[in-house]
Amino acid sequence: MALVDIRNLTKRFRNGDEVIVPLENVDLDIEDGDFVSLMGPSGTGKSTLLNLISGIDQPDEGTVAVDGVEVTRLSRSQLADWRAANLGYIFQTHNLVPVLTAYENVELPVLLLPLSRDERRRRVELALEAVGLSDRADHFPRQLSGGQEQRVGIARAIVAHPKVVVADEPTGSLDRKTSEQIQVLLQRLNRELGITLVMVTHDSETAEIASRQLLLDEGRIMERSDHNRSEVQAVAS
Amino acid sequence: MLRFAPYVLKSLWRHRARTILTVSGAAVAMFVFCFVTSVQEGLERLTADKDSQRTLIVFQENRFCPTSSRLPEDYADKIDELPGVRGVMPVQVWTNNCRASLDIVVFNGAPPKKLRQARNLTLLSGSWKQFESQRDAGIVGRNVATRRGLIAGDQFSIGDLSIKVAGVFSSPSPAEENVIYTSLEFLQYTQGLDAAGLVTQHEVYLRESADPDSVASAIDQTLRAGPVATTTRRKGAFQTNTLSDLVDLIGFAHWLGYACVGLVLALVATTTVMSVQDRIKEHAVLQTLGLRPARVFCIVIAESMLLCCIGGAVGTMSALAILGAGGMAVGAEGVTIAFRPSLQLAILGMVVSAVVGVTAGTIPAFHAARAPIVDSLRQA
Repeated sequence: MALVDIRNLTKRFRNGDEVIVPLENVDLDIEDGDFVSLMGPSGTGKSTLLNLISGIDQPDEGTVAVDGVEVTRLSRSQLADWRAANLGYIFQTHNLVPVLTAYENVELPVLLLPLSRDERRRRVELALEAVGLSDRADHFPRQLSGGQEQRVGIARAIVAHPKVVVADEPTGSLDRKTSEQIQVLLQRLNRELGITLVMVTHDSETAEIASRQLLLDEGRIMERSDHNRSEVQAVAS
Repeated sequence: MLRFAPYVLKSLWRHRARTILTVSGAAVAMFVFCFVTSVQEGLERLTADKDSQRTLIVFQENRFCPTSSRLPEDYADKIDELPGVRGVMPVQVWTNNCRASLDIVVFNGAPPKKLRQARNLTLLSGSWKQFESQRDAGIVGRNVATRRGLIAGDQFSIGDLSIKVAGVFSSPSPAEENVIYTSLEFLQYTQGLDAAGLVTQHEVYLRESADPDSVASAIDQTLRAGPVATTTRRKGAFQTNTLSDLVDLIGFAHWLGYACVGLVLALVATTTVMSVQDRIKEHAVLQTLGLRPARVFCIVIAESMLLCCIGGAVGTMSALAILGAGGMAVGAEGVTIAFRPSLQLAILGMVVSAVVGVTAGTIPAFHAARAPIVDSLRQA
């Protein structure tokens, strides 16, 4: 069974009398250790799919299972517990807590786990080291550059050793040079630490760092072949 | 939850101006609340304690001000013979102000030996011996001494009265500490009172088995044949009646206390709502990281409670300090209500603050915990 198993997923939004269906009967498997990028025009449901995998949104139909747990059946509190233990989320706009230092921001997810203080410290230090920010641990978000903030966000997403990390346009608010640094970092996390990554991006260059590239359009997911990037293959409808 | 304490504290500190203003507002309101409550406590102590229920006051019929009640001193002997009566103390009362006043000075003249038996007074300074032996000596209640800056050995004059302060006393009954005791003869023979052989009232102490109301009726019945008719009531009822205007005012102030609590509630609720609205996205991020909605709820409640409790503690402690140091009292017609700090008042102030904190935070906390995460993350 795939690590992420999505079946017949449908999400509708109502805007007055109009019904928008960004996702319709979507099927998708993501294997353990995959690095998946999701591309597509604006409003095609990329972030919605990410939110449904994360359990911060609920589908109208279909199921999402992660590592055998059907997250679409969990209550809001159960989902919170599940996310704390199994999911890392990298936001486009970093979303660090401004009153907390980089260290404290990274520590937030592990505060929710039954870990000793020493183990928490060890994990936070490792996560900050992994993103190359050990020397910025005591800095507040306002004292960091955009790229550094995003690296703190990445450290926060991986610190609890989640089964899957989702990233919603992680380079969307960064300049080209910083974007490249983040791309390299994400690739390293996937290759060296074996972290399963699902990344939404608008940028085809960023999408190409993923081992598996998906295109989402008109509610359907298509896969771009690894061997021929110009070929777009429908894998689900 | 304690693991998130730094986050709660830093969140409050982040908006220092708002936090300080809210805490200050809560402190002022709780200060007034504690002050009003202490007046109510004083009245309660005065009218509901055992002494006020088991002691009778014999006063001249249809008279209310101590200057107008003039009973023969020898009524004490007749009252003493009645069944159920354990003892009688004639008391001459002099006050500088019959109307309601915050700086009322009340002299009670009574036989020193009887006074020592009847009242549980503790001399903080000075000597009983001087009080008992020197006719113009008086012992001064701690509150009066604080207000007037008196110490043992001072000479204190007010109106035509002038006494030598033989000591300063404390009493388990705070109202007593607003009184200056002199010998009975001293007040009776004071110029202007012209009260030789007369007293303002008789205090009657009852045996355990005696029914106060029956004894009161018996006293009035017995003295009906005398030169002056009397009205005898329990001390508590007498004091309530004497202070009737003030009792109404204190009853009204009681609503002022509730208004203060409402003010704190509105103030802290407003601040918490603003704080939650400012951080709706932050709370959504926390929930995305894995905080349960209940935990977000508790974080908001903790912030609201902290604001209230810090403000409440500052207000309550300030009120207690001023009540303790000021020796304040309000009185009318020779009866005083002492404003005193008490442990009960401190606990009440803190409990009210905590309850108001929880109440003020509940709706914003619910909003923070239940807001849809995705919609909240989209907020700028």
